[in-house]
Parts: sequence; structure tokens; C-alpha cells
Amino acid sequence: MESNEKKVVLSIRNLDVVFGRGKKAFKAVDNVSFDIYEGETLSLVGESGSGKTTIGRAIVRINPCSAGEIYYKGKKISGKLSRKDDRDVIRKIQMIFQDPAASLNERATIEYIISEGLYNFHLYKDEKERIAKIEKVVRDVGLLQEHLTRYPHEFSGGQRQRVGLARSIVMEPEFIVADEPISALDVSIRAQVLNLLKKFQVERGLTYLFIAHDLSIVRFISDRIVVIYKGRIMEIAPTEELFQYPLHPYTKSLISAIPIPDPMIEKEKTLFVYSPSMHDYSVEKPELVDLGNGHLVFGSPAEIENYKKIRFAGQN
Amino acid sequence: MNEQNKTLCNEEELFRFVDNDQFTSEKITAPRYSYWKSVFRVFFRKKINIMVIAFLVLILLVSFIMPIYWPYDQMENVTNSAVYNLSPKVAMQRFGGFSFKWLLGSGGLGNSILYGIVSSSRISLLLAVICAAINMTIGILMGALWGYSKKVDAVMLVIYNIVANVPYILLISVLVYIIGSGFWSFVFALTITGWLPIAYFFRTQVMIIRDREYSLASRCLGTPVSRVITKNILPFLTSVIVTLLASELPSYISMEVFLSFIGIGLSANVPSLGRMISQGQGAFLTYPWEFWPPVAVASAITIILYVLGQNLADASDPRTHM
Repeated sequence: MESNEKKVVLSIRNLDVVFGRGKKAFKAVDNVSFDIYEGETLSLVGESGSGKTTIGRAIVRINPCSAGEIYYKGKKISGKLSRKDDRDVIRKIQMIFQDPAASLNERATIEYIISEGLYNFHLYKDEKERIAKIEKVVRDVGLLQEHLTRYPHEFSGGQRQRVGLARSIVMEPEFIVADEPISALDVSIRAQVLNLLKKFQVERGLTYLFIAHDLSIVRFISDRIVVIYKGRIMEIAPTEELFQYPLHPYTKSLISAIPIPDPMIEKEKTLFVYSPSMHDYSVEKPELVDLGNGHLVFGSPAEIENYKKIRFAGQN
Repeated sequence: MNEQNKTLCNEEELFRFVDNDQFTSEKITAPRYSYWKSVFRVFFRKKINIMVIAFLVLILLVSFIMPIYWPYDQMENVTNSAVYNLSPKVAMQRFGGFSFKWLLGSGGLGNSILYGIVSSSRISLLLAVICAAINMTIGILMGALWGYSKKVDAVMLVIYNIVANVPYILLISVLVYIIGSGFWSFVFALTITGWLPIAYFFRTQVMIIRDREYSLASRCLGTPVSRVITKNILPFLTSVIVTLLASELPSYISMEVFLSFIGIGLSANVPSLGRMISQGQGAFLTYPWEFWPPVAVASAITIILYVLGQNLADASDPRTHM
């Protein structure tokens, strides 16, 4: 998967995240490896409890890694870091949270919430510059200056999510982990937030790790998609490649679950249901194999042969 | 019908195009919210609170200003045993007609009961406020740190388990025996371990808030622990703090009364409600004016502080602000 023109920003190698100890230990993320290239949007999709958020949180280091490494621009950021590196990483990697109601401090004004990161890193020369910075970012996310003195509970969900976005953007990060930023929002507001995310990406060359479970939104925003099931990567592929040639049965089941906005077709649609018992891994151990075109699938050698046949059928 | 509709639609002057301004939809028309203003608005909505505050102000004024002009001296008539234990009526006759000083009679040493009560309430109130301030401050800050840091938690739990298993009364009495029974040593005895249960209570409260999403967000922004505690955690605990204060303040008054009553409280030269009650209890059938007034005042102060605290706690809960 080496690519000459694309620069790897973040790379995850054999990441394991385990919660609990001893008999109660639960492996939320199991041997996950992938790269994120500069300026792209990589989406992590999978069902609830598949470990998407855990991976995102491992990157911003809320969840410690049990094994494996995370590299940011070639520098290891998992495990213990020196204070200087630690602050550097915090500044450059920001996170947008899922629930806009829970992720803003209800007893602080919007001004404080947005300035929090600026205070921490003293990213301003004087009060005037700080005010100028937050006023600019507030305008950029489509809010008004007069909102600065208000409290989060006075805002609508979409407005709150934009406050959360402003709080990350004002730090001038390079990489943003967006943890289901729109799943708690009204459908009419989703596009607004997605467009803002895209706008900032174009303006500032940001790289996103976009965590979602809604494939239709993922198709709109992402360059590449990682499909994850029970903490393991099932398939990685560029967006259109994945939608045209979904190879892994789990990916197929996810795509077949996308609602079709036509009741006649939707009624007739047969859902493809995935079950791990479809695979026989008793003889051959499965692994993530590159099929070419940046398309990786998890499977045993026999399955991989089969996937290759399906993928390249009619091409050779 | 159709004809009519057409004419209605054609009346263009009734309608005009309005530009869609994206920012107008963002405007919030609700008046600005201020936390403390809302607290006081809710608080003063109840008439009983105004009454209780008036009483408290009265008690404070009387107990802090009166002793300046009419100082209380327990020993002023100690040489004259004829004025010991006089009822109000007899005392006033004895000291030349009606006087404020002998309104409640005289005590076992010929002292004025009224002046005694006034000075004692001042000491009791001071003691309660000082102890509550020290214990709450240390308790809240330690509790915040205790709940926030897992390392501190491990150490503090051991300390707490050891100290909490020593009976509080026993600890205080031993301390009072060792360091004497002046006002400040009594404060010391009440505060040396008094903050531990408060800190333990706050530990649990902090743990609930610590892992909420906005605290995680602060961590992602690199906010130092001290600011997470003051900005993310303590503001949410305002109502909890006020509720606790409401039960802590009167408890120190009761504690002083109880300890003085069993004989290990403040020293004999410090006038206190507890000491007056313990002195009066031996003869409360024969000289009831020496016993009931201090009991009544101690109860009144406790009840006033408790009602005030509870209502302030209710008002400081933002859910009541609607």
C-alpha cells in the first residue's frame, strides 16, 4: 500500500485496546492496522460496539493502548510521551464528539468553551488577539458574536455541534477525529455540519478520521473507508471501490442495509444478513490481504482467492 | 371558488419576497441567562426565606454588636452569693428596677443569663462558621483531587478507612485533653479530621462528573487538572455544596453544645451555649430560667441555619430556575 505521492499522517500498527483485567478482560480493538494520508477523510464504519469510537479515543489518548503503536508523522504517540511532545500532539490532534449536549460544559459560556484550548496553549499575544480569534472562528462556523456570552443549553443541537467544531478548529489542528459528529443531529442539520467539515478541510488542509455508522453519509464525505466488526478490520477500500465491489460479507450486509428512498423497491429489498459462522477459519487463519487498488480484505487464503475472482471478474 | 382563489393570489401587494439571511435564523431571542441571578430570584420567591434571613440578621447583629457595649462577665458578682440563681423578677428587684440585663434572671455565679446567651451565641456562630469554612474548603478541594486522580484515590482510601473507623467523639475528646480546651484548640480538634467525610462525599460526586463527555473534551484540549476541577467540576456541584453546608453549619453548633454538655467542650472561661446548658441542666426544675433560654436559642439558630441552607440549596439547583 506504499504510495509515492501520498504522505502518511497517522499510522496505526497492530493496535489492541483491552478493557478490564483477568477473566473480565474485553478486547474492544483487536490487531488493527491502517494508515491515514494527508488531507484525506478516512471513515471508520461498523455497528455499535464494534470498537470505532475506541480507536478514535485511542488516537487522542483517552483510552490507553494495550498493545501496538500509533505513529503521528513518524513519531510514536502511544504510550508515555515527554511533556513537550504530549502538548504538541494534543494541539495537533483534536476531537469532535458525538453528543453535542454532553460534550459542552453547561456552566461555562460559549466564549470560555471556545477559548479553552487557547488558554491552555496560550495561543494568543494579548486579550485582543484572543477575542479576535474566537470571533473569527464563531463567524466561520456560522454563529453570531452575541452567542459568545450565552450558555450551551440555550442552543439547538446543530448550533452546539458547531460550537464543538469551533472549539477544535480554533486550535488550528492538523488532524481531527470526528466521532459520529452528526449521528445525534436532526437530519435537516446534518448537511450543514458536514459541509462545514468539508469547508474546513479544503481551507486548512485538514485530515479527518470520520467515525460513523451511516454508510450513505460516509459515501458523501470520505475518500477511503475502513469497515470494522467486533474490533477487527474486515475491509479497507477507497469509497467508490467499496460501494461497487463490496467483497467481505459483512460489508455487503452493511451496504444492503442502506435504506432506498423508494418505498416500492425498499419493500422488495432482501437484506443480506452477516454471521461470523459464514467463515471457516478452523484450518487456515485469516488475515488482511491487499488485493490491489488499495483494497484490503480480511479472510483466509481460500476466501481471498474467491474475493479476487469476484473483484477482477471480467477484467482479465 | 376557483375564481376567488385566483383573485386572492393575484393580490401581489399582500406578499413580498424576503431575502433568506442565514444569520437571522441563528439569533436567540430568549433573555440572557445568569446563574446567580436565577438562584436569588428563585430563593426570594419564597416568603419564608425573607423571614428566616431577617431572623438571622437580627441574631447576628445582636450577638456581635451587643457584647461590645454591654460586655459579659461571668465573674462580676461571684463574691456576692446572695445574687446567685435569682429568678428574673427577684433579680430585677435586687438590681434596682427593670433592666435589660436581668430580663432572664441570674445564673449560678450571679451572672446575667441574657448577656451570657448573647455572648455564647456569638461564640457558637463563630465556631460554626470557622469550622465549616475550614472543613468545607479542605474537604472540597481534597475531594475533587481524590475523585479525579486514581493515584490519590488509592492512598486516600487507606487513610480514610483508618481515620473513619476511630469514633469521632473519642478522637475529639482525646485531642481536647491533649491540646487544651480553648476556642482555637477546639476549632483544631473539629477540623483536623472533620474534612475527611466531606472529602469522601465529594470524591463520589466528582467521579460521576469526571468521565462525562465534556470533561473528556477538556482533556483533549489539554486543560490542566486544576482548571478542570474549578471550571468543569465545581460549578456542577454548587447545589451539592450548598446542601452540604446547610447541614454542616448547624451540626457544629450541635456538636459544641453536645461536647460542652458532656464536659469536654470549650473551657470554662469561654461563654458557650453548650456550657450554659450543661450548667443549667442540673437545676432545670428549680431554676428553669437558667436552662430553657439557652436551649431555645441554640435550637433557633440551628433551625434557622438549616431552613436557610435547605432553601438556598433548592434555589441553587438549576432545574428549579424554569
